[in-house]
Amino acid sequence: MKLMPVLFCGVMLWLGLSAIAPLTPIAIASPITQAQLDEITTQWQDSTHALADVNCSSCHQNEETQEFVQAPGYESCQSCHEPETETFLLGKHGIRLQEGLSPLTPALARLPMHAEASDRPLNCNTCHDVHALQTRPAAVDACLTCHNDTHSNNYKNSPHATLFSPAGELPRPDASAVTCATCHLPRQTLGETDRVFVNHNNTYTLLPRDRMVSDVCMNCHGLEHSYNSIFDDDLVEANFDQRPTQEMETFELIRAFEQQRSSQNAPETPPE
Amino acid sequence: MISWLKQHCSIQSFIKTRTAIIVLIVGFVIWFGAAFAMDQKQIFLPGQTSEGHHLFEASCSSCHEGFKPVSNDNCNRCHEAELAADVHGVKKFRDPRWAVLLEDIDVLTCTACHNEHVQMFGRGVHLHPDLCMACHEGIIQGDLASHDGFTPDGCWTAGCHNFHDHRSISTAFLTQNLDQPFMLPTPEVPELGVEVTLDRAPTPDLDREFLGGGT
Repeated sequence: MKLMPVLFCGVMLWLGLSAIAPLTPIAIASPITQAQLDEITTQWQDSTHALADVNCSSCHQNEETQEFVQAPGYESCQSCHEPETETFLLGKHGIRLQEGLSPLTPALARLPMHAEASDRPLNCNTCHDVHALQTRPAAVDACLTCHNDTHSNNYKNSPHATLFSPAGELPRPDASAVTCATCHLPRQTLGETDRVFVNHNNTYTLLPRDRMVSDVCMNCHGLEHSYNSIFDDDLVEANFDQRPTQEMETFELIRAFEQQRSSQNAPETPPE
Repeated sequence: MISWLKQHCSIQSFIKTRTAIIVLIVGFVIWFGAAFAMDQKQIFLPGQTSEGHHLFEASCSSCHEGFKPVSNDNCNRCHEAELAADVHGVKKFRDPRWAVLLEDIDVLTCTACHNEHVQMFGRGVHLHPDLCMACHEGIIQGDLASHDGFTPDGCWTAGCHNFHDHRSISTAFLTQNLDQPFMLPTPEVPELGVEVTLDRAPTPDLDREFLGGGT
């Protein structure tokens, strides 16, 4: 009988421990081979980083302590790419890092993800090949490495995809290409300045959908086409493989309101 | 004999109950202690966390300061950009005409509308879709002929209104951009400029370090 409390304690301890999820494996940087180093050096020599005088030590050496850093984190990128990193940390991709948790992995996502990618930790260099520095692979291929939902997988059927394939070559998509990043990590101007940056907060244009209409869709498409498309769930799933068929009632109301206003020539308080 | 047995049994059962309670308490202390010690605080979550927040739900202190109510400052730490042009912000309610409406619902407090850890209606942090009716009920009850009889939960779910950010959905914006063609005259996204300072790559300034040679 005296065994019972001991057994009970054991069961409770086991329950407590079972609440603890398996710890996310963290990639520990280890030294590389001479061949790998040569390849990386070649990639870097052809990159914009090299021509902008960003050398090995710019990222791989702590500025204050002069200590060598084998695998630099997002803080290293942040020192030059401030708005990109700041916005990355506010979106779903980076929020765990901002809040001091382990990096996001697809295993934690509620959206469908590729099983083989489930343990990939999400840092800047998950999508960006930081040595070759080409943003073209980061614009579509990197997304589809993890994302496995209908909308993502249907990108290839979208007219947007045909604009991307032939449009320009490495290193970055030109202004006529429409990639995953064009809509979800859009190029925007920074505050009141003319400086174009890439907003890496992937949730910013996602909801409410009308934010994507003005910030993204209307770079190319008319207002009604944009609204009628983005508020059509099936068309979103199909990744806009055809023109919208719905006509949102909101535009009927706006037309009626305008007609009434011009005929009466006496402004009524518009619906807010 | 029988009465002796009865007495004996009741004492025994009392001891058993007491032991069970103590063991239960010890068990819970170990369980919660382990959750804290191993930084696995998800077990304290009172319900399902919203789409946007579930990825960092183990970090209670991201939103909660102890047991105090979640403040606007906690939300603004991340959501400043979304609220940059808030039409239902502090400025609007400085006007006494609108200030009285705060008595119906204090919309200047994020948590008056947005609730976390409860499943209601998915749009960011959960909120009831008919909240607009706290102030704007008249709109669907005859004050505005065109909206007469509309459902109370349709204002934003139908894609017509946005409580915080009017920029791309206001009547003025929609009127101004009516009847545009499928493709605008110059369709393109902003070009990303990159400035370089050198004609050719400099000599790599680190080498042996990458091969494990140290600094």
